[in-house]
Amino acid sequence: MRAGFRAALGAPSIAMAATFLGFSAAVAAAGLGLGWGLAAGAFVYGMPGQLILLAGVTAGGSIWPAVASAVAANARFLPMAVSLAPWLGGGRARWLALPFIAVTPWAGGMRALPGLPPEERLRWFMGFALGCWGTALLACAAGFALAPALPGWLLALLVFSNPLYFGLLLAMDRANPTTRRAVIGGALASPLVLVLPAAWGLLAAGLIGGTLAFLWGARR
Amino acid sequence: MSQATWGLLALAAACLTLRAAGLWLAGPLRPDHPFIRWAASVAVATLSAFIVLAVLAPAGALAAIPWPARLAGAVAALAVLLAPGERVLAALLAGLGATGAVWWLAA
Repeated sequence: MRAGFRAALGAPSIAMAATFLGFSAAVAAAGLGLGWGLAAGAFVYGMPGQLILLAGVTAGGSIWPAVASAVAANARFLPMAVSLAPWLGGGRARWLALPFIAVTPWAGGMRALPGLPPEERLRWFMGFALGCWGTALLACAAGFALAPALPGWLLALLVFSNPLYFGLLLAMDRANPTTRRAVIGGALASPLVLVLPAAWGLLAAGLIGGTLAFLWGARR
Repeated sequence: MSQATWGLLALAAACLTLRAAGLWLAGPLRPDHPFIRWAASVAVATLSAFIVLAVLAPAGALAAIPWPARLAGAVAALAVLLAPGERVLAALLAGLGATGAVWWLAA
């Protein structure tokens, strides 16, 4: 567990901290409480969905369209959990990982777990996931306190660290042809977001781009 | 309870359900099962589309950053990552630094 926790301290934690700091400052600016920000970070734990929900709250009116869009934006949790599950062991203990399945722990796990002995995989993942999750919540609290002092340009840069870090994670796996094909498929399908509602468009781009990439790999 | 709280509760429950459904669907399957490989491909493609849009056509706070700055940040981060040593933290900081520098120059 310690090895996973140590692996989380570094680039993953910095990216998580920067993103959650920016999110929490935006929560404070929207007039919501620290409890709301912490609960969103802890229990939603998926930044695109969190940002969509926050935008819906800020806009006023009915919250339910924003909730539906946020669920669609975070729908990637389903395929991520499916692909991660076999690496967490077959017993009931794998359900301990349930609340922590999100992009950063998933990407870290998919890179590290295949190289570990089966009996160490779940412990490593729990250490890594708890390191990321703890950092995110600490940054949430810090962002709330710092919100009045953070200029808009810095908040935007903090939020940008999130896609930048995810891009680096995918680039680090460039030697894997399966990942390469899926990255190309997703990138080519991304314009769908411009013609469909943003949250559903992302899900459609992933499904279409990922399925085509999978079929491309199966033909080779 | 306010609408914001109800919305948060609903979203948290939905996200937990999506994760649980994934673990349940995977069941006893092995990592090389076609269904698992397909799911991994969809997950990576979704993430890839999210990144491409965040750099080229973002919404929200990211839209405040001019596109040349976003692009410069992405290129700088990749360049540092592809250098010998594959240092991801240095790459992340280089990307953010380049984004900030180009944004400042463009302002």
